Amino acid sequence: MEIQKIEGLIEALLFASGEPVHIETLSGITGVDGKTLINMINRLSDAYASDNRGIQVREINGAYQLCSKTDYFEYVKKLFEPRQKQGLSQAALETISIIAYNQPATKVEIEKIRGVNSDSSVNLLLERNLIKEAGRMDAPGKPILYETTDEFLRAFGYKSLAELPPVDEMLKIEE
Amino acid sequence: MERTAGYTIKIQNFEGPLDLLFHLIEKNKMDIYDIQIGEITDQYLEYLGQMERIDLEIASEFLVMASTLLLIKSKMLLPKPLPPGDDPEDLRDQLINSLIEYKKYKECASELKNREAYYGMMFYKVQEVFKVMTFDIVNKNYSSEVIPGIYADVCIRNIKKTNPRKEIMNELIVKEKITIRSKIKEIVRFLFNKTKFKFSELFDKGNDTKMDVVTSFMAVLELAKIKKLTIEQKETFGEIVVKKTRNSEIIKHP
Repeated sequence: MEIQKIEGLIEALLFASGEPVHIETLSGITGVDGKTLINMINRLSDAYASDNRGIQVREINGAYQLCSKTDYFEYVKKLFEPRQKQGLSQAALETISIIAYNQPATKVEIEKIRGVNSDSSVNLLLERNLIKEAGRMDAPGKPILYETTDEFLRAFGYKSLAELPPVDEMLKIEE
Repeated sequence: MERTAGYTIKIQNFEGPLDLLFHLIEKNKMDIYDIQIGEITDQYLEYLGQMERIDLEIASEFLVMASTLLLIKSKMLLPKPLPPGDDPEDLRDQLINSLIEYKKYKECASELKNREAYYGMMFYKVQEVFKVMTFDIVNKNYSSEVIPGIYADVCIRNIKKTNPRKEIMNELIVKEKITIRSKIKEIVRFLFNKTKFKFSELFDKGNDTKMDVVTSFMAVLELAKIKKLTIEQKETFGEIVVKKTRNSEIIKHP
């Protein structure tokens, strides 16, 4: 296939899939190497960004997915039944922050930092598919280890875990 | 005491003892590295007291922290030197480290909260199941006439299949509202002026249906059974003659 058409092909593939498509899958179908593909995806992404287009490309852990732009949220949501989107509680947010920066992490580690029992938060995060079990720690009691999922990246807008800002940067204590 | 007397903490849900301590430090505009343990301990206990007064269940973690604070406070009151490893400064430093560690993630959590709200405003398509077409459509010469052509074929085939007597059949299935009761009335009326009549006379007008004939016959039989009339038939398939009996007059004309 001519190289000019690849951009359209990527668009077609992402549209048809709905779910994130990994760069390797795209490469397998198109026969184009990953690096070139990423350039093409960036061009596609730029086109979406510059024109008054309603969709955008998101990268999640090496996979790409089309989604609607936040600009149109207020309108697009009218397509659907009104449903209160329940954001995470402070406890759950604290818990997932700790897991994100210390993964894989055990409940004990989480509780040590938070200073409070975190069972319900961990369960909620598991239920929401934001974290998953990642084996057990080789320590007394073999505690379960938890790590974040791709759903975490998607829900919080990170392309990968490497994008998480260093935690110390967030620490701004008035000296 | 004057300071704490006027001090009221709005009872709110704290995520844990560290969260509460944090709140107190900020409220008192203290430096996290230079916490006045005595003051913080008093306010911490005051808060627990309020929780108790409004019957809030106090999680055990809050009580553990209270005892830690009291331990640090009491040790600081002791005259120095203390035995090695028992320095209240160490305990205080540990507490400060915990607080700083906790603060990191507390701030991280509020960052995530913002991101969650923003990235929650995007819509994604759920994966659909597409059936991949395996037949070869390339060689088929599809054009815009294909569909009208197919439709015409279907119509012709449909006409051929249809019974040409369709219209007549429609009449046949008209629901006839003929009851034995109504036929009995008719026959009684018929016998009003005659002493006898041939069964076929009932259908002289020629617009009677099979249903009329059958129902009339059953009406005659019914009347014969209750002896309101008699019936005679000389030969098989011959004419049926219906005659009045003496009883016939008793039937009230409707």
